[in-house]
Amino acid sequence: MAMIATQTSLSGSSQSPRSPSTQPFLSVSVTDPAKLGNGVQSYISYRVITRTNLPEYQGPEKIVIRRYSDFIWLHDRLFEKYKGIFIPPLPEKNAVEKFRFSAEFIEMRRQALDIFVNRIALHPQLQQSEDLKTFLQVDEETMERARSQETGIFKKKPADFMQIFKDVQSKVSDAVLGKEKPVEESNPEYEKLKNYIFELEEDLAEAQKHAFRLVKRHKELGQSLSDFGKAIKLLGACEGNSLGKAFSELGSKSEMLSIKLQKEAHNLLMKFAEPLKDYVRAVQSIKATMAERATAFKHQYELAETIKLKEINLDKLMLIRSDKVGEAEIEYRELKVEGEEATKKYEMIVQLMNEEIVRFQEQKTWDVGVAFHELAKGQAQLANEIADAWRSLLPKLEACSSAQT
Amino acid sequence: MATITTRSLSGSSQSPRSPSAQPFLGITVTDPVKLGNGVQAYISYRVITKTNFPEYQGPEKIVIRRYSDFVWLRDRLFEKYKGIFIPPLPEKSAVEKFRFSSEFIEMRRQALDIFLNRIASHPELRQSEDLRTFLQVDEETMERARSQETGIFKKKPADLMQIFKDVQSKVSDVVLGKEKPLEESSPEYEKLKHYTFELEDHLAEAQKHAFRLVKRHRELGQSLADFGKAIKLLGACEGNSLGKAFSELGSKSETLSIKLQKEAHHLLMKFEEPLKDYVRAVQSIKATMAERANAFKHQCELAETIKLKEINLDKLMLTRSDKVGEAEIEYRELKAEGEEATRRFETIVRLMSEEIVRFQEQKTLDIGIAFHELAKGQAQMANEIADAWRSLIPKLEACSART
Repeated sequence: MAMIATQTSLSGSSQSPRSPSTQPFLSVSVTDPAKLGNGVQSYISYRVITRTNLPEYQGPEKIVIRRYSDFIWLHDRLFEKYKGIFIPPLPEKNAVEKFRFSAEFIEMRRQALDIFVNRIALHPQLQQSEDLKTFLQVDEETMERARSQETGIFKKKPADFMQIFKDVQSKVSDAVLGKEKPVEESNPEYEKLKNYIFELEEDLAEAQKHAFRLVKRHKELGQSLSDFGKAIKLLGACEGNSLGKAFSELGSKSEMLSIKLQKEAHNLLMKFAEPLKDYVRAVQSIKATMAERATAFKHQYELAETIKLKEINLDKLMLIRSDKVGEAEIEYRELKVEGEEATKKYEMIVQLMNEEIVRFQEQKTWDVGVAFHELAKGQAQLANEIADAWRSLLPKLEACSSAQT
Repeated sequence: MATITTRSLSGSSQSPRSPSAQPFLGITVTDPVKLGNGVQAYISYRVITKTNFPEYQGPEKIVIRRYSDFVWLRDRLFEKYKGIFIPPLPEKSAVEKFRFSSEFIEMRRQALDIFLNRIASHPELRQSEDLRTFLQVDEETMERARSQETGIFKKKPADLMQIFKDVQSKVSDVVLGKEKPLEESSPEYEKLKHYTFELEDHLAEAQKHAFRLVKRHRELGQSLADFGKAIKLLGACEGNSLGKAFSELGSKSETLSIKLQKEAHHLLMKFEEPLKDYVRAVQSIKATMAERANAFKHQCELAETIKLKEINLDKLMLTRSDKVGEAEIEYRELKAEGEEATRRFETIVRLMSEEIVRFQEQKTLDIGIAFHELAKGQAQMANEIADAWRSLIPKLEACSART
């Protein structure tokens, strides 16, 4: 289930699929990660369960098996077809080899993929995509064929794609900041938005880095408490009397607190650090869309320039009654049509982006608010449990010291 | 002030102006000051003695001492009061760049203060001439006394530490009887020896992890500070209520970072250092055990030699040799030596028995206090942390509710 809890009930899994007169819904679950294949060829497959009452889908429930590259395929198709819309981001491909199959990494990825598909299912335009239907319903062989049929950059392997994406990222900055050629929109509000997005990405990346470090420090403190507890217990076994007992109590308490810290570290990771990282990816998706917008603007601008030149040329030819007029007129008309098409595409992107920005702000404000809440709650709870644990020790320790003197 | 609370002899609350009051000897080690330049630099301390003992010059005396002076005192006491557990000193060596950090200086000052006060509290040790010298003579006289040491005490402190380390390993051999099978066959003493060795191992381990715990507190604190700054930058970038939430969260993180650093320091001074002190005390016991083993071996060997001399003397008397007179003198001298050696050994045994009891009582109290400090400090910090996070929640709820 996505963290998104807002407006539409389309992803509500509480709806019964048996009442066709009820609200239309489309809900997806990504579950049961399983390791398949051998050695370097091994990968994780997921069960993707679709529950829906939409007529375009085959039946109320469908289960398919998908792997990460299938999600990439869907992402790329949507990015190609729905220019102007912020395509929900995917979790990163690469991971340090030994970490790639750790339970934590797999769970983080599963959660991110589930959120990804559900965001698409909730989006008024994206949810109608044919590619989404394909992704959610076709069998594995058909899916694999669809994946390998991709032309252009999508023919590359995911690893290459990540590299290309990185190249695009840097080009994005250049294109969006208008460094390539001074062919960009002079829209002050859009300028403000661009600068905001770039600053936001930097600050977010920094915050997310420190959030992950915070998780690590929790783990390390927990480990330290565990080692300490064990050492103190050994001491207690060595001593006798009430002092030995005090050592044992202290040791056990430390070990217990260690477990609480590890638990909170995991909670911090899944409920705070990962959502922050998700925010970063979402902002990067916006940047990619901004690059598309800049490209579309440049394209329609260049066409407009070319059309002007063709017009001038046509007039010239008509004046001298050249026999090339006919050809030039056809060319001119074709270009004008192309120009109108390019302008239409560009304006569509602008219009979609305006709606997307509003959606994004609302959604992110909500998501970040939830994440902060989780952080404060989890930390407060951990701290209270720690305080209680130590306080419960005090009377026992007092009993020990007074018994001796 | 030492953590020792038993006797009132070190109580600085006694007025020096009432000679009929209980005898007291209170010492304070304060005001560490860095003197000298470069590699010659060192720390000097003010040692303030307040006492009503007649052997001392007046109710209050202030002298300037450095670490090597404390080492001198400890070595003199170790040499003269065999059988007594000489209070331990903090270690000499420290990583060069750490040597003048305020934390290290404070830890050392505290340990030196405890060291002197323990001597002042000890019924035998506090009567020592060397203690009086240490507490009263001026710096030049002190320096002269230090450099006059013969034998191993002529060495520089660094060398002495190495020698002490050699002794430590020899101690294990000697005490465990690995050199020669010349050791007391007292099952109770055997038990004590094994307990002491095992205790040292476990204590060192516990102290190592306690120190690591301090480090982890600092690291978590630093991480919270970095996180807080980054979140505040984010807040400046966003506007509206979300930006406000970011700022609140960032500030709160920075506050908590400070609390964690405070607790890290508290853990270090009130828990880890007392544990370390415990380790040193046990090492001091081991050194005394080595002295006892040496004394035992010495009187054993003398007894053997005396037996041989006796047999030889009888032989000479039988043969009416003219060497009898000489041999008789030798024999009598040896017997006197033997009695002296036996007396020394028995003194050590007797003193050690009393010392063990003192030690157990004192250590139990000290450790109880240290554990209490640990639990109290941790509970307090955790409560403050919980309150801080809880105070944030309504503000965060206000922010998300607006959407």
